[in-house]
Amino acid sequence: MTRFLVVRLAQTPLIVLAVYTVTFLLAWQLPGSAVINDEGRQPPAAVLEAMEARYNLDSSWVFYWQYLSDATGVSAGRDLVAGRDRVGPVFDLGPSLRNEDWSVNEILGDSLPVSIVLGLAAIMIALVVGVGAGVIGAVKPNSLADTLSLGVALVGISLPSFVVGTALLIVFPVWLGVGRVGGWGRFGDIILPAVTLSLPFAAYIARLTRMGMIEALQSDYIRTARAKGLPERDVVLKHALKNAFLPVLSYLGPATAFAMTGSFVVEIVFKVPGVGQHFVAAVLNKDLFLIMGVVLVYSTMLVLFNLAVDVCYAWVDPRIESA
Amino acid sequence: MWKLLAPALGLIVLIAVVIASDSPPAPAEFTYSENTSIITLDPQRISYTHDMRVSYCLFEGLLRWDNTTFVPQPAVASAWSVSGDGTEYVFHLRPEARWSNGDPVVAADFVFAWRRAMLPDTASDYTALFYVIEGAEAFFDWRIEQLEQFGGLPSAERTAEAAEALWVRTLERFDATVGLTAVDAHTLVVRLERPTAYFLDLVCFAIAHPVHPPTVERWASIDGATGRLLQRNDWTKPPLHIGNGPMVVTDWRFKREFRMERNAMYRDQSALGVESIAIVEIENPNTAVLAFQTGAVDWITNADRVGYLADMIEQQERGERVDTHAFPTFGTYFWGFNCTATLTGGRANPFADARVRRAFAMSTNKRDITEKVRRLGEPVAGSLIPPGSIPGYTPPTGLAFDPVGARALLAEAGWVDRDGDGALENEAGEPFPAVETLCSTGSYHEDIALTLGAMWEEHLGVRTRVVSKETKAYKDDLMRRDYMLSRGGWFGDYGDPLTFLALSRTGDGNNDRGFTNEAFDALLDRADAESDRAARFEILQHAERMIVEEECPILPLFQYVQFYLYDPNVLSGVSEHPRLVQYPYAMRINRGDGSGDRR
Repeated sequence: MTRFLVVRLAQTPLIVLAVYTVTFLLAWQLPGSAVINDEGRQPPAAVLEAMEARYNLDSSWVFYWQYLSDATGVSAGRDLVAGRDRVGPVFDLGPSLRNEDWSVNEILGDSLPVSIVLGLAAIMIALVVGVGAGVIGAVKPNSLADTLSLGVALVGISLPSFVVGTALLIVFPVWLGVGRVGGWGRFGDIILPAVTLSLPFAAYIARLTRMGMIEALQSDYIRTARAKGLPERDVVLKHALKNAFLPVLSYLGPATAFAMTGSFVVEIVFKVPGVGQHFVAAVLNKDLFLIMGVVLVYSTMLVLFNLAVDVCYAWVDPRIESA
Repeated sequence: MWKLLAPALGLIVLIAVVIASDSPPAPAEFTYSENTSIITLDPQRISYTHDMRVSYCLFEGLLRWDNTTFVPQPAVASAWSVSGDGTEYVFHLRPEARWSNGDPVVAADFVFAWRRAMLPDTASDYTALFYVIEGAEAFFDWRIEQLEQFGGLPSAERTAEAAEALWVRTLERFDATVGLTAVDAHTLVVRLERPTAYFLDLVCFAIAHPVHPPTVERWASIDGATGRLLQRNDWTKPPLHIGNGPMVVTDWRFKREFRMERNAMYRDQSALGVESIAIVEIENPNTAVLAFQTGAVDWITNADRVGYLADMIEQQERGERVDTHAFPTFGTYFWGFNCTATLTGGRANPFADARVRRAFAMSTNKRDITEKVRRLGEPVAGSLIPPGSIPGYTPPTGLAFDPVGARALLAEAGWVDRDGDGALENEAGEPFPAVETLCSTGSYHEDIALTLGAMWEEHLGVRTRVVSKETKAYKDDLMRRDYMLSRGGWFGDYGDPLTFLALSRTGDGNNDRGFTNEAFDALLDRADAESDRAARFEILQHAERMIVEEECPILPLFQYVQFYLYDPNVLSGVSEHPRLVQYPYAMRINRGDGSGDRR
C-alpha cells in the first residue's frame, strides 16, 4: 500500500506539468490580447505594449517559466535564499487580467470551497437517489417502481441543467416562495443547485446499481445466504449491494471531479460563486493567469482525487490491493 | 455498511461546516444587480459604467453633476473661478471634506490622483481626457520615452537606484511642466492648454476622483528592472479602502456581493437616501428577472439581454406592468467601414472610396432594423451624436434611405454591372468582392449583420457574408483592420460633440476604422482653438456632417437605449438623463411599511 502511494504521489507533479504545458500551448494561441478592452476606450498603444511587457505577455518562453516558478513557490524560495522582501503569497498564481482588483489566489480561495461543497453535495444526493432507485429496480425488475426509476433516469440524463435549473427556480422560489433566487451563503441555497447538478449522476448511478444488483442477486453466494435463512433485507443490502457497489465506486472518482468542475451552467443559472464559470470566462477574456491558475489547481486536485478513490477501492475490497 | 456510511457522514459534516462558516451579512436596505463583476475601484483605472456608479458612491470629485440637468455643482470644491481667457481654473476646497479615515481631503490629493492618470505606468484608459491640462500630453510622452530609454540600458545599469532617480526626475518634471498646482491645502489651480468648454464636465467625471495618497502609495513600488511605477490594487478591498464619498465599502466578495454603507465621515449626510447598498452580479438574465420578481433585488441595471424584453416593453406600454423602463442614452450603435487602402493579403479595399461607403449607408433601411429586428423601440440614428443630448448643439440629419441614389454613387465610383450577370464589376472587369460583415458572437449583432447583408444584396447587387467571432477574436481583427465592415458603438463621456467626434481623428486609439482625413482633423483643431461656444458647435457640426453624410466612415443605426427593471413605487431617484450617470447612494427605497426591510 505504501509503495503504491509513493509511486502515485511521485507521478503527480509530472502529470500536472504535462497538463500545464498543453494548456499553456493552447491558451497562448488564443487570438486577441488580454490587456485590450473588449468595449470602450483603449489606452495609447505604447501603454498597451508596456502592459504586455509587464505581465510577460510578449514572450511565451518567459511567461511559461516565470508563471511556473511563481505558482510552484520556486520564486518565493529564491527570494528567501537571496534575502529579498517578497510581496504576495508563496504559491503566487498571478493577477487576474480581467478582474483587476483580484489576484488568482484570491479568486480561487473564494470560489474553490463553493465548487467543492456543491460538487460533493450533488454527489451525495446522486448516491442516495441513484443507489436507492437502482436497488428497487433490481429487486423488482420490470415493476412499476423500476419503470419509474428508469423514466426519471432518462429525464435526468436527457434534460440540460439550464432547463431543469430554471424550472426549479420558477417552481420553488417564485411560485411556492421556498428558497431564494440568486443567493449563496445560507444553508438552503445549496439545495436547488445541488439537486440540479446531481440529476445526471443519479441517473447513471441508478443504472449502474441496477445492473450490478441484478447480476449479484443471481449469484451463488446470494442463493447460499437465502438458503441459510437470512432475512431478505440483509441479503440485499449487506451481501448483494456490497458487490454491486464496486462499479459505482469506480465511477464516483471521475464523477465527483466532474461535479466539482463541470458546474458551469448550474453556477450561472443559480448564481453560485464557484470556479466553473472562471473556466469559461477566463478563456473568453484570454485571462492567461486565471486560465493557468485554474488549470493547475484543478489538475492537481483531480490527480489527488483519483488517487483517493483508488485508496477507497482497496479499503472496501481488500482483494484489489493484493492484485 | 458502516464502511460506506462513515465517509458519507464525514462529507455531510464537512458541507455543513463550510456553509456555516460562509454566512452572508444581513440583507442591505437597497440591492441592485449588475450582469458583470465590478472590475476595479481604482478611479484612475476605471473604464466601465457600472464601476463608475460605484465610484460615485465611494469617492467625491471637486464637482459633481446634478444628474438630471447635468450642470456641475459644488462637491469637494465649494467654489471655483475661471480666468478671463478661460485657461485657468481655481478651485477652493471645503476644509470640512474628510477621507473615511478622518484625514482631511486636500488639494495635493487631487494632484496626486490626476498625476496617476497622466502616468503611462497607471495605464489609464482615459489618460487622453487629461490632455486638456497644460503640459499633460508632453509629460506623458516624455515619461514613455524615458522608460523606453531606461529599458534599453545594459542590465548592469538598470538598478533600483537608477529607477528611483528616474522617478524623482519624473516628479520634478511633472511639477515643473504640468499645469496643476496645489497652492495650499485648500486651493487647486489648473491651467489648460486652451479654453476647454467641457473642462468642468471632466472634473465631475469618475476618472478625476481623488485617491488617498498614503493608502495607494503603500502598495506602489518602483521596479528596478524597467523603471516603472508598479501599483498593486490591494488597497481597493475593505478594510483597506479609503474613500471620501457618501459611502464606504464594507464587504467585497468576488462574484457574490459588494456591500457599501453610510460613510460617517462624509461632509453632507443629508445626501444619502439609503443606509446600505448591496450589489450582486447576476450574469444570467433569466435569473436576474426571477430575482427581481421575488424581491431579492430592487433594480436590474441592464436588462437588454433578457430574451423576452420586447414582450415586457409591450406589456409596459399596455399598462400591464410598471417595472420595465427604457431610457434613450448618450450612445449610438453603428457599423464602421474599414477605410484603409488595402485589406489583409494585399487585396484592394473597395471601402477606401468614400462614395462606396456612402452608397452602402444610403441603401440601409435603419427603420427596418429597429422595428423588425430589434423591436425594442430604439430611436433610429441619422447622426453619431444623439439629437438633443448636448444643449446648443444640433447634429446633422444624416443620409436618407435612397437605394437608387446609392446605385448611382456606386456607378460613379466605377462599380457597374458590365456583363449583365447582376453582379458589379469595376473597369478592369473584377467583381465587387464579397462584403464581409464582422461581429462578435452571442448577441443581437449577428441578426443585424444578416439584415444589413440582405439589404445590400437586394439594393446594390453585392454578395455579403457574416463573419462572427468570439469577442477577443473580433476585437483582434478590428485592431488589425482585418475586416470590411464591423459592428461598433460609442457612449459619450462629457457634454461636448468632441466626445463622439474624436474617435475619427487620425491616429486616435479608438479609431478602429483607420479613417484619416486632413480636412476633418483640421476642423477639430479649429474647434479646439475656438472659444465662442456657438461658433465652435458650428464647426463641429460641419465635422460631424463629414462623418455621417460625406465621408461616412461610420454608419449610425440607432441610439442605444438603457433598459432598467425597477418598481417605481419601491425605488425612486433613478435618473432618466441620457448620460446614464446614476448615484445609487441618493436613491430611496420605500417598501410600503416604512421599514426598508426586504422580504
